[in-house]
Amino acid sequence: MDKFRMIFQFLQSNQESFMNGICGIMALASAQMYSAFDFNCPCLPGYNAAYSVGILLAPPLVLFLLGLVMNNNVSMLAEEWKRPPGRRAKDPAVLRYMFCSMAQRALIAPVVWVAVTLLDGKCFLCAFCTAVPVATLGNGSLVPGLPAPELARLLARVPCPEIYDGDWLLAREVAVRYLRCISQALGWSFVLLTTLMAFVVRSVRPCFTQAAFLKSKYWSHYIDIERKLFDETCTEHAKAFAKVCIQQFFEAMNHDLELGHTHGALTTATATATSAAQSPSDRAEEEREKLRGITDQGTMNRLLTSWHKCKPPLQLGQEAPLMGNGWAGGGARPPRKEVATYFSRV
Amino acid sequence: MDRFRMLFQHLQSSSESVMNGICLLLAAVTVKMYSSFDFNCPCLARYNALYGLGLLLTPPLALFLCGLLVNRQSVVMVEEWRRPAGRRKKDLGIIRYMCSSVLQRALAAPLVWILLALLDGKCFVCAFSSSVDPEKFLDFANMTPSQVQLFLAKVPCKEDDLVRDSPARKAVSRYLRCLSQAIGWSITLLLIVVAFLARCLRPCFDQTVFLQRRYWSNYVDLEQKLFDETCCEHARDFAHRCILHFFASMQNELQALGLRRNLIGGNPKPQEPPKTPEDLDGGSGKDYLRAICSQEQVDHLLCTWYSSKPPLDLPASPSLWRPGLNHRAPVAAPGTKLYHHTDV
Repeated sequence: MDKFRMIFQFLQSNQESFMNGICGIMALASAQMYSAFDFNCPCLPGYNAAYSVGILLAPPLVLFLLGLVMNNNVSMLAEEWKRPPGRRAKDPAVLRYMFCSMAQRALIAPVVWVAVTLLDGKCFLCAFCTAVPVATLGNGSLVPGLPAPELARLLARVPCPEIYDGDWLLAREVAVRYLRCISQALGWSFVLLTTLMAFVVRSVRPCFTQAAFLKSKYWSHYIDIERKLFDETCTEHAKAFAKVCIQQFFEAMNHDLELGHTHGALTTATATATSAAQSPSDRAEEEREKLRGITDQGTMNRLLTSWHKCKPPLQLGQEAPLMGNGWAGGGARPPRKEVATYFSRV
Repeated sequence: MDRFRMLFQHLQSSSESVMNGICLLLAAVTVKMYSSFDFNCPCLARYNALYGLGLLLTPPLALFLCGLLVNRQSVVMVEEWRRPAGRRKKDLGIIRYMCSSVLQRALAAPLVWILLALLDGKCFVCAFSSSVDPEKFLDFANMTPSQVQLFLAKVPCKEDDLVRDSPARKAVSRYLRCLSQAIGWSITLLLIVVAFLARCLRPCFDQTVFLQRRYWSNYVDLEQKLFDETCCEHARDFAHRCILHFFASMQNELQALGLRRNLIGGNPKPQEPPKTPEDLDGGSGKDYLRAICSQEQVDHLLCTWYSSKPPLDLPASPSLWRPGLNHRAPVAAPGTKLYHHTDV
């Protein structure tokens, strides 16, 4: 148990390594998916290109959306984007930071899919087999005699060895080697380009806007933590609320029973009821403290609505007096004016 | 349990060992990538050289960039290079040290790829089969030059009709593989000798400078990590206080509007923040939160951290130094500068 807690703490404290681990897993899953996928070129002139382009582009899109969905921060971003400003202004730099970091991580699996597809070559072969330069690779003299649809039909069968019947025109192996070579060259160029872009983005960023970056990172992390803590506090509150509600119900039932019983039974019942009522009322007092004064549905609803519509400003200067004797006697205090202090300097 | 804690502490404290681990992982990934890559020489005159050399050089370049990306210290180095001097002067020697250590580690995976490719031989055979001198081989005596060129271009493809089961093809292929492996082993030997010499001869030059630079580059890295962790803890406490404050201010509002009903059995008690969450947070969380508890103050803190890092000048006090170190420690007078400086 302790072991898990420690691992969890390590991963949470080092959020970057946790997210990087998730990215690595998704990249591996992407490569594994590709190898498990049974590519099946239709070998028909019109359909080859559509099939190949579909295989090249549709799974990456799905993987990208999956990557966004699996990231918990998407809902956090949406919440922060749509909430009313209230007493806390919104900072577009923080929203941009959150979106960029999520998009970067979600892009890794699609990039791996595209790279693996190009390096394997089957997709490219299927898409461009009809565009092979027969004149240079095969018997160029026979090409003018062939009508274009017949040529296309012949060449479209290159990816399918069992039905290819154009060996007299162009050796299948030659065409396959040629197209796969180009596909692999494109694949490696794509890999190089993406790593270069990632390197430039990561290394050049500290040269510009480092202070703004630190701020955005801090506040986006803060928003995440605040949301989690608020959920935890609400859960605690709901528990206490429910406990007190049920205890009050039982106490009310007890009270009714006391009133309805005969005297003889009442004394014993009272004795047991009072003795039983003392310890629950002590516990009830503890639970009531946890309620922090919010003790009915209407108030709780107001609290939740207010949390969404009008988040508190990021200003804790008035902490000390709240814990002091200011509340002894429970007199009504005028609500303190809070200065809205969250504004963007970016 | 203890082992895990020690392992995590070790990994977190010594960033060098983390980097070495990542470097080894990337080298293992390179080997796996090479073995699973399906080599496919086009066996066409002009394309062979491009494909062979491209495959020899492009993946190493991509792996080098990956090695730089994956290494956290490269970002730390760029940040240290670009930060304003502020109250802490910059030492270019440290930046150079970090740069060289990052580059050395990033070069491991590309070298593994290049050596694997050379020792395997396929790349070399594909790239240079068209450039072989036909005079070396007797089998080409009775072929025209264009036939020879066509033949040589198809040498890397064993299954091609033109060259299948041809002794000439096997001869050329063996020759090129032998050359490729010789080059591969020579490069391996050279690298190992260079690394050995560099490591053994380093203590002969500037050892103190080296120790200082290693220490301070490690320090910069750890300081950045600890700052991030401290910001996380601070954000957590900030959020906690903010939420408690919010609940309390709701209560205030309700009191003012008279919506709060009396609880059954007594007057409303003064609400104190619950003790349990604060106990969990610990004292240290509250201490620095009290001083920094508004958005402006946090922003100011972060800006100052960037533009003007504090000087490396911890006030020397008896509590900081153990008795054993005192006789070696500088005079512990307040205001004594414990600056690092290198006599370059």
